[in-house]
Formats: sequence, structure tokens, C-alpha cells
Amino acid sequence: MHIFRYPLSAGKNSTSFQFISVGPKGNIKKLIYFTPTYYPNFYNLSFGDENPQTGKLDDLIISNNGDSENVLATVVSAVYAFTYKHPDAWVAATGSTDARTRLYRMGLSKHFEKLNEDFYVLGQYDDSWEPFVIGKDYEAFVVKRK
Amino acid sequence: MSTGVEKKIAELNKMKAPIVVVDESLDKYDNVIPFPEKHEKMNEILKKTGHPENYLKSK
Repeated sequence: MHIFRYPLSAGKNSTSFQFISVGPKGNIKKLIYFTPTYYPNFYNLSFGDENPQTGKLDDLIISNNGDSENVLATVVSAVYAFTYKHPDAWVAATGSTDARTRLYRMGLSKHFEKLNEDFYVLGQYDDSWEPFVIGKDYEAFVVKRK
Repeated sequence: MSTGVEKKIAELNKMKAPIVVVDESLDKYDNVIPFPEKHEKMNEILKKTGHPENYLKSK
């Protein structure tokens, strides 16, 4: 099944991406950041809406623009683009709330088959990493290009 | 259409990475940590679990 993905733009280092979600609530600017952690080549993924007043990323807002599948597919697309430029990178994601973590889990589950062809996909459970299993209640996730 | 262009289009179609337009205005976000608490949470998880590379090496 092909899911439409929004066109992406990125900074020169491909660590910051943006796209415009189009729907009944209008055009909403979405931002995706890959930020370094204490570990080399280990990045944290954050995404959300740009707050039009502050210009900052808001990952708690629920935009209800009717395109959540397209938004998730576009975030997956950004992971492909980021790891194309940074092939040795690990990309981790954890939600700032349980609901957000569930959203990441749903996104991963939906795209797992495709992702699993190209990435190692691990989930964090009981203080250790294990291969991602659809439906399991992970607190964090990581992917790395195979 | 020349063979070179056709080959290039075929290569682009095979790529799973999307075509991304470079927008230098986004460079200002490089190394910005948008959610320090979430960032810290991930660092804490890594302290407890170790680097996932260790998991792959053990398999």
C-alpha cells in the first residue's frame, strides 16, 4: 500500500527537516529534528508542529489535520533521508508523554515491514534492548541502517 | 530522452530515501535540543540499557 508522503526540505547537514501538513485545519508547518546525545552517532528524533508565535517545536499539540498517516509516513521518510546522509547513525525515539510514545509505536508498527528490510529495529523493555515486536509496550525505540 | 537521463530516473525511482530540497534557513536548528527533558530521558535510558550496539554484537 502506498501512503502519500509530504515533500521534505532539510538543512545542509540533514539534521533538521520540515514539511507542510495540508488538511481541514489549514497548512501546518511540521518540524523533525535529529539531535545528538552523549553517545557518538546516536541521535534523538523529535517531531511536532512549529508554534507560529515562537517558531519553536511543540510536540504536545494535536493538530487533527486528518492526515496522521501521511505525517507518520513522512517522518519515516525523513529517517531514510537522515540515515542516507548519516549511514552509521542510530536514531532513537521516545515520546514526551505516554500518548506520544504510543503514537511513535503505532508509526513503527505500521511501517515495520518496510523498515525491517533496511534497518535494525529495537525496542527498550525492562532496561534492555530487544528486536521490536508489534504490539509490545516499549518505552523507547531505536533504528539503525543494516 | 537520453539514456543517461533515463538511467538517472531509474536510479532515483529505486532509492528509498526521498528527494529532499535543501533549505539553509533550517541550519539554525542544527544542534538545537528542542526538549531537554526528553533528551535527558533518552540519556538516562541509555545509561540503564547500555548502547544498543552491544545488543547487536551479542547476536
